Amino acid sequence: MIEVSHLVKSYRDLKAVNDVTFKVEKGEIVGFLGPNGAGKTTTMRMITGVLPPTSGSVRVAGFDVFEQPMEVKKRTGYLPETPPVYTDMTVRAYLRFVAEIKGVPRKERDSEVERVATKTNSEKFIHRVIGNLSKGQRQRVGLAQALLGDPEVLILDEPTVGLDPAQIIEVRELIKSLAGKHTIVLSTHILPEVVATCQRVLMIAQGRIVADDTLAGLQKAHASAVTADGQMGPAPSLEEIFLKLTSA
Amino acid sequence: MKNAIAIAKKELNIYFATPIAYVMFTLFVVIGSYFFLRLLGAYEQASLMYMRFNAGEMANRLNFQDAIFRNLFGNLGVILIFIVPFLTMRLVAEEKRQKTIELLYTTPVTPGEIVWGKYLAALAILVFALALTFTYPLLVQLVAKDANGVEWRSVLLGYLGLFLMGAAYMAIGLFISSLTESQVVAALITFVILLMTWIIGWTASEAEGWVRDFVTYLASVSHLDSFSKGTLELKDVVYFLSIITLGLFATNRAVEAHRWS
Repeated sequence: MIEVSHLVKSYRDLKAVNDVTFKVEKGEIVGFLGPNGAGKTTTMRMITGVLPPTSGSVRVAGFDVFEQPMEVKKRTGYLPETPPVYTDMTVRAYLRFVAEIKGVPRKERDSEVERVATKTNSEKFIHRVIGNLSKGQRQRVGLAQALLGDPEVLILDEPTVGLDPAQIIEVRELIKSLAGKHTIVLSTHILPEVVATCQRVLMIAQGRIVADDTLAGLQKAHASAVTADGQMGPAPSLEEIFLKLTSA
Repeated sequence: MKNAIAIAKKELNIYFATPIAYVMFTLFVVIGSYFFLRLLGAYEQASLMYMRFNAGEMANRLNFQDAIFRNLFGNLGVILIFIVPFLTMRLVAEEKRQKTIELLYTTPVTPGEIVWGKYLAALAILVFALALTFTYPLLVQLVAKDANGVEWRSVLLGYLGLFLMGAAYMAIGLFISSLTESQVVAALITFVILLMTWIIGWTASEAEGWVRDFVTYLASVSHLDSFSKGTLELKDVVYFLSIITLGLFATNRAVEAHRWS
């Protein structure tokens, strides 16, 4: 569904993203891991077409992001780092506006807004002005916005940031419920989140992909050496693998 | 086009959800009314004086268009210079600062639709502001019972001129707003540019020959005046339309270029 090949983004001498190549199959949930400043957000912005790459290409659903941006944009929902909300609008007016520019037909607009608000638990504050909402509430509005129009591909940049533990679990359940039908790439540096929601892990450090495997596969590959009595060492946790790969 | 209208509706929603539009409308009407009352008072004095000195010839020549509206439209045009920067400053700059521009970039909306949407909203605000001043000719018509009432054709032409000039100002303001993330910077630079289009006309009186013609052509207020006189000339329409086209084109480029920065 998403094919990223040899993606490079450089700012003068700094290579924020350096030759990143990976594939995400339809219906997969992929966790995008990496320390701060590793290039997660930059990569996601290039996948959604916000940022033009220095070189390399991205194809979403068979369409090149650069050649046919409109086809790609019709099929992707994107939650950026900061939820792109208009603080002077009410949640309902905002979601209606996004539904409109995403091309949701007029008749279905209200029910579609209702649907995503229910899914993200935002219906309680749907009448309020976004500027008066808490960070977690804004984050949920941002997520609701990404779900509008039921796009095939969802790119979520730290979807659970600013949420309380109960809400984090809710959002995880929500993301899991989207599996199969939607292709999801979500970035985070909260490792348990990846364990809880993702089928595959992509690890990025200093602009390069350092791991691309399932969690079980990663644990197998990084298992500690065989002990004296011939037993396999304990399977390493994702934390250990993360630290090992990203510190290099 | 559908997306442009959606964006325009969103902009208007924000204009009226925040105090900025109301404050600007109030200022526009308060200052406009002050000028209107002054001009009305001057008209009254002049007509009384002509009657007292039995200057029938002069009294016949006295009319609302020349004595009141031509000056009033000139004054309203100058007020627009002070008002428009505050109405256009947030259009693109705020989207950049709040990062909501990423939303527009990742939904199926073209840069052209973004620019048109924002410009349409700005024009709607302008029409609304001008409509508020329409009470002045209506009031004059109400008290002028004789045959020499308001010359509606000239008044409407004056409004057309004001609209075109305001639209040109809005296009400049929209462009400046698309260059920065700061609303204050956008408002200040727009104000300076608009002010220049006014005061550059002052140097015309010192210049000669083609320089004089050129400077007069550049000054926006001189183009407004020919509308306020009640004439419709192609060169004035072309002047405003070319500023609008240039401003919108440049904004389109700036919105597109923002991604590459």
